[in-house]
Parts: sequence; structure tokens; C-alpha cells
Amino acid sequence: MKKVIMGNHAVSYGVRASEVKVISAYPITPQTQIVELLSEMCAKGELDAKFIVVESEHSALTACVGASAAGVRTFTATSSQGLLLMHEIIHWAVGARLPIVLVNVNRAVGPPWSIWTDQNDSLSQRDTGWLQIYCESNQETQDTIVQAFKIAETVMLPVMVVLDAFYLSHTFEIVDILEPEDVRPFLPPYKPEVRVDVAQPHSFGNLASPGEYFELRYMIEKAMEASRDVVRDVDRDFEKRFGRGYGVVKPYRCEDAEYILVTSGTVASTARSVIDEMRAEGVKIGALKIRVFRPFPFQEVYDVLSKAKKVAVIDRNISFGHHGIFFQEVKSALYGRTNVPIVGYIAGLGGRDITPKVIRSIAEKAINDKHPEPDINWIGVKI
Amino acid sequence: MGEKITFKSFKEMPLCAMSIADMTYNHTGSWRNVRPYYDFKVSPCRLGCPTSENIQRYIFLATEGDYEQAWKELVESNPMPSVTGRVCFHPCMEKCTRKDFDQAINIPAIERSIGDMGLDNPKWMKKASATMNDKIAVVGGGPAGLSCAFYLARKGYRVTIFEAGTALGGTLRWGIPEYRLPNDLLDRVIGSILASGPIAVKTGTALGTDVALDKLATEFAAVFIGVGLMKSRPMGVAGEEGRGVERGLEFLKKVNGGEKVDPGKTVVVVGGGNTAMDVARCARRAGSEVTVVYRRTMNEMPAIKDEIEEAEKEGIFFHFLAAPKSIARSGAGPIKVVFQQMKLGEPDESGRRRPVPDGDKTFAMDVDTMFTAIGEEADASAYGKTIDVDGALIRTKNETGETSVQKIFAGGDVVTGAASVVEAIAAGRKAAERIDRMLSKQPEPAVEEPRTISIENINTAYFTKSKRTLVPRVPVEAALEGYREIYTGFDDELLHRESDRCFSCGVCNFCDNCWVFCPDVAVKRLAQEYEFDYDFCKGCLVCVTECPRSAISTREEGR
Repeated sequence: MKKVIMGNHAVSYGVRASEVKVISAYPITPQTQIVELLSEMCAKGELDAKFIVVESEHSALTACVGASAAGVRTFTATSSQGLLLMHEIIHWAVGARLPIVLVNVNRAVGPPWSIWTDQNDSLSQRDTGWLQIYCESNQETQDTIVQAFKIAETVMLPVMVVLDAFYLSHTFEIVDILEPEDVRPFLPPYKPEVRVDVAQPHSFGNLASPGEYFELRYMIEKAMEASRDVVRDVDRDFEKRFGRGYGVVKPYRCEDAEYILVTSGTVASTARSVIDEMRAEGVKIGALKIRVFRPFPFQEVYDVLSKAKKVAVIDRNISFGHHGIFFQEVKSALYGRTNVPIVGYIAGLGGRDITPKVIRSIAEKAINDKHPEPDINWIGVKI
Repeated sequence: MGEKITFKSFKEMPLCAMSIADMTYNHTGSWRNVRPYYDFKVSPCRLGCPTSENIQRYIFLATEGDYEQAWKELVESNPMPSVTGRVCFHPCMEKCTRKDFDQAINIPAIERSIGDMGLDNPKWMKKASATMNDKIAVVGGGPAGLSCAFYLARKGYRVTIFEAGTALGGTLRWGIPEYRLPNDLLDRVIGSILASGPIAVKTGTALGTDVALDKLATEFAAVFIGVGLMKSRPMGVAGEEGRGVERGLEFLKKVNGGEKVDPGKTVVVVGGGNTAMDVARCARRAGSEVTVVYRRTMNEMPAIKDEIEEAEKEGIFFHFLAAPKSIARSGAGPIKVVFQQMKLGEPDESGRRRPVPDGDKTFAMDVDTMFTAIGEEADASAYGKTIDVDGALIRTKNETGETSVQKIFAGGDVVTGAASVVEAIAAGRKAAERIDRMLSKQPEPAVEEPRTISIENINTAYFTKSKRTLVPRVPVEAALEGYREIYTGFDDELLHRESDRCFSCGVCNFCDNCWVFCPDVAVKRLAQEYEFDYDFCKGCLVCVTECPRSAISTREEGR
């Protein structure tokens, strides 16, 4: 069944289709509608889940940790300050190897207070051991939730699904709604090998000496590396079953491209329209959307970008004292393997529009500027 | 289990940090630098009790409902808790830690309840058989003598009590009115003591006149003298011998003996001690209007405070700072007593301010009877030639009552001068224990300075404030109608309510706090005690903080 729904509700339908058993969340703009609809679904019996009301995001994720450790599929959603308040437990979920799925709606971090989008909140959790998948459309969002549970429960790491505030969260699109009975063969009920069980008492999260901690961390990285194949395979299986696949990265008209714009999230869609426009004018330009940010798709990124003459990375984020974060990542993916120039562009922080005109100006600047250029190019600074 | 695991491959490792076996191989107790240990102190109440009753212990046993053990614990140091529970001046309560929190525990009321249960359950008293060959003479059947006889008989000694009067009890029988200590109760108490072992009684046998001390000392392995104070002290006032003036103790003896008394319409009692209160209240019961005249003020009165309050409630008047100067009689009517006004001067050797005449101020009272209750004296004629004396009192070497003659011991008022029932009981017990050690050739025990606690050592967060449970009583009007006992005693509910208030100072009462709070599960809960598992106690001392009663002490490791 197809419905016209907002991006946030696409998340809710993805959770419903995944037959999640425990949801705990604390409201925060711009994600609140996700859990609003979920609480309604729980109340109406459309979703057989326990909805745990808490007093903070820290508690919300902690409740999920407890529920997940007890062996059930769990979900939470948050944004910005809420995600940052979860930070301690973000780490915990990884160390405890709990396959929680969390949706973060990208919202700029205060102060100054902002409710509009940029990626610094989710990217500040980059090194915690969560997989991160950035979505572009409402359909992709719904489908990615289902994929995320499948991936998480396979590699026993939590997955963060990320969408842009308002551009995606509050934008209505047609979504082919997934039904639980259709999803169940793809995503069977979660049955962990080990769980908190009074019949088999263990203590969890206990002290590990230097003799064990190191190995446990090693195992997390091994799981993260193993997840590369899992992410790809799950997307392929999903595509086979439901006819929709999203890839780890999504190249657009890159085969013969001399210039490639690297984007993520909703900017990718806007970029594609600019590519079409410039291609019509005879410019050999393409775009690469990075969908899966963790684990970082080194090979896929290299395969697409290594043939270009110049790469322009558009970052809706900034690592102060360094560069745009996607820029850093792309650069490190290509380091030592190719000499293609890579230039970073910061745009759209705090929800400022990244319009086709903005993207075109970035493309033209990238084409026209003589290399070497500054690593950080601020686009649209008014003063 | 309990061994260190070494992983040989990643497959052996759990996915996340979780226990896969116990950690008992890891003796985390080695991290400890300070060690807690159960260390029971002596509760302050016990230190306050002249006969060292284990008050904490019997109250704890009462809270557990184990009255038989409570009673057994009690009679270890006091053979007549039913008596002291009624008449003691309870110095224990002055020491009660709870006094510094809200109100002291009503210890005598609990003592009385448990004591009475012992009387109701005579089987609790195991009769000792005469296992020792030595025979002991106990002279005097008052509290000191009865106590001494009891503790010797329990050890299997053959005891003979020589009593000058017609019945045992001494002061308890003749000096304390029935409304405080009923005669039938006293009979039962004495009966229980006599039932405790091989005790023979010879009444009507006075020391000196009927039996000589030297003779007893030859015939018996040891002699204990607890004859009390037998001679009334004269006031030294002109006209004190004659109609209208009576010794207070003689009056009490008549009343307690059931004799009908009629002291007249107006009575004055001279004195400020317990006898004065007893005389005044008995006279009140006989229908007299009674005034107590005391030469100092109420602050200096030696009587038990409760007794003074009771006397006031019963309508007895007090006149302070006055002493009789002369007594005049004319015809058959009331006598005229002239009193000298007094004032307080410098403190005397007792620390109380000495009364001195306030110039020549006097006043007169016309009374039908004047009772004197200014104290009694010892009569050394019966023993003064055999053993050393201090004035008329017997001189002892120490609190075990050893006199100048090795096998003769003494205790009670005849040693101390006018004191209390409980002190006499303590003296009798300590002498009995010393006699036993002497005859069985046991060494004297080492005396350790007792360690105790105070309110600062109580974790008061664990207690809520409550009022002392008072003993039910008959109303004053009804009490004045006769000599029936005023206080009726605790029922089970009141006994529990009051026993539950006890802090159990310095002594574990199995509240489980240490066991509950120990974060290392290093407190083991055994049937009758707790035990630290020092393999795992890290010395965090949470147990010490959370022990409400300071029953755990600490010491640094390696010291």
C-alpha cells in the first residue's frame, strides 16, 4: 500500500514493519513525530511493543540497552542535544554489543539554539562504533530501518539511521508501506545467543582487565569490518525481495565524469538535478552520494572517484580545526592510491538552504579554481 | 569455577563483557587496607547498672519473643528482677543512649515484665543440686543475703540463711510499702530463690544474740554478712522520745505487717529519703494530712524522683529548709513541733550543699504524729569484735566484700551505709562469686576496662523519635484507697513496643544492614551471627557506616 507520508512517519512505518518489541524515547524537535506515531501504533495495538516513557534521552537509550540486553528488538529516535545527552550510552550499546537501531534526525547543535539541519550531531558520534546510514528519501528511510535491524542483529552492533531535519523529516512523499508479514521472512524475530536471563545468571558490562579489554575492542572492529559485506548483502537481498535497493554509495553519471561532487543526505537529490543541468551544457560532471558512512566505504569511494580529474566534497558539517568531515574521510580513502585533487566546501550549516544555485556555484568554483586550493571553502558566508 | 580463565581463541571469548565463571579466585580482599570486624561493646545502660544486668541482651531476646532466655540472661546478674523492676532507682536509664535522642528506654518496666514471667514459669529455674561440699552461712535475709545465697546455691554450695526476723526479705518486706512491692509477690520471689538450689533458712536467728559470728566462721567454709542497717538514728532533738513521735521504719513495719494504723489527722514526716516518702504515703493512705519537712531543698532529696512525684500527686505537702528543734506536749492532744528555718551553706563531702540554721527563724506545727525518717545506722555489736569496722559499718577490701577475716565477707547497707536494693544485690552476687573462686581455687579474672558507645556512635538515621512507653497505673484516687500496687505492668504489646525502642548500643541485634549493604557480598549471614569474608572484603567500611549501633570496629591492616 502506498501512502503520502512525512519522513518521520516513514521511520515509524519502518519500525512497525520490523516488529520492534521495546521503544523508549524522549521527544525532541524535529524527531518527535516518529515516536508520536509509534506511541499511537502501540496504543492501537498495531504494534505489539512496550513503549517506555522516560525523563531524558540518556534514560531512553539506557532503557533500550536494558531491553536489548534482555533479548528483544529495540528502537529509539532522537536529535541533536538528545543524541549528545545519550553519548555515554551510545558507547555502552557498542561495548555491550547490542543491536539497537536509533534514528537521528540531523539538527544543528546549540548554542545558538537551532532546530534546523546540519550533520554535526551524528558525526560527533562517528568514533563510537555505531554504523551510520544517511538517508535521502522517505522510501529509503522506511526501508533502511528494516535493513538496519537486519544488519545490526547480524553483526551485533548498533545502527544509527540519519535523516535531515525538515528537508526529509517533515517532507511528504509517496512511500510504499512495508507490512510486517512481508518483512518477517526477511527479518525474522530477534533471537540472541546470549541475553540477560535469570535462569542463566551472568553479570554484564563487568570489569575487564587490560588482559581482556583490548581483545574485546579488537572484536568490535572486526565486526565493523565484517559489516561491510553484511550491509551490501542485506541491501541486495532487500532489493531482490522488495524491488528497492540503495547501495553503500550511489554514483550518478560518474562513469566518464571529470568532476565529481560528493554529497550525503538530501543534498544528493538536489545535486543530481544540477548534474543534469550542467551535463546538458556539456560539462562532464557527476555526483557521488555516500549512504553508509560507517563503516566507511573506502573501496566503493575509490572506485568511483579515482578516475576523476577533481573531486568536490560538500559538507553540511565542520570539524573545527580540521575540515569538513566527509572531506576528511574521502581524502583518507584516496590517500596514497591516487593523486586526484580533492577540495572541501562547507555549506548549509544550521539549516541554511543548499539550493541548486549553491551547488552549481560549488561545481563551478571547483572547475574554475586552479589547484592547489584551500581545503576549506566556505560557501555563502555573507559578511 | 573459581579459577582464572585464559582464552586461547576469539571463539572462546564472549561477545561482550560478561561473566562466564565466578571470580572467587580473585581475592579482592587483598586490596583492603582497613579491616572491619564485629566488635560488640558494653551498652551504657549495663555500665550504669550496679549489678551489670545485660540489659541490651535481655531486651533483644524480648524483642525476639524468647522470654525464657531473656529471663535467664537477667537472673545471671539479678535473682529478683521482679523486685528491682518495681523499686530500683534505675541508674541504667540515666545512661541510656536513647535519652540523648528522645527518651530513655523504660528499662525497669521491661525488667519487671520478664521477671514476672519467670515467676509465672517456675520451670525456667533449674534447681541446682548440692554438688559442692562446702557449706556457706549467709547472715541476713535481705536483698544482699538473698542474692549471695542464690549465686552460691546455683554453684552447688549448701547455703544456710540466718535471718533475725520472722520471714526473709529484710528491707524489701518491712521497709517498702505494698503499693510499690506487694508482699505476695515478694513471697514468690523469695520462693523462686529458695528453689534455685540447696538453701536452708533459719529465721528468728539474730547475729550476735542467737548465733555468734566466730562460731559461724568455724562451722562454715565462708560467711557472708548482709544484715543491713538495724538501728534507727536519733534526731538529737529535745522531746523526741515520747508520745506522738514515731520511727518511720517502725510505722512501715506495722503497715506492711497488715496492722491497722491511725497516725491521726495531721502528720509530719521528717526526712528526704525513700523511707520518708514511703512513710508519708502510707500515712496518707491511713487518712492523714501529711507534710514532709526536709532540711535541704527538693534538689538535694535522696529519694527516687518518681517517688517524690507520686507523693506530690497523692496530695502530700513539702516544706523545705526546716529541721525540728524541739517538741512540746500538753495533755493528750496534738504535739507542738518547733522547726528551725535552714538555709544552704557550703557543699559537704557528698557534694550537696550543707543546711545551716537561718538565724533564729523558727516556726511551729501542731501535729498528731511526727515520723522520723532520717536514716538508719549499723549495729556493730554483732560483728565488731571479729572483723574490722568503719564506725559501725563493716570495712571491706574491695567490691567482692572481703573483710579483714579471710572467710568472712560482707555486702549491702552494712558495708555502704544506706544505699539501694540493686547495690545490695550486686554486693551479694560479687561476694558469692568471690567465695566460689576462693573455695574452688580459681584465679581472679582479669579486669578489662569496658568499651562502650554514646549517641555519637549511633546512626540515628535509622531511628524515628518516639516516646517512652509508660507503665499503666491505677488512678491516684483509687491508689489512695488502700495499699494495692499502683503500677500494673506491661502487657505483651507494651513490652514489645518499648523493647523495640532499644538501640542495642554497640551490640549486634541482627538487623541485616551490614549484610544488605556490603557491595562485595563479603558479609556472611550465619544462623546466630554474621561473619566477614576477608577474601573479598575490600575494606570500604560501608558496613561500619550503616551499622546503626556501632557493633563493627575497624583496624588498619598490617598493624
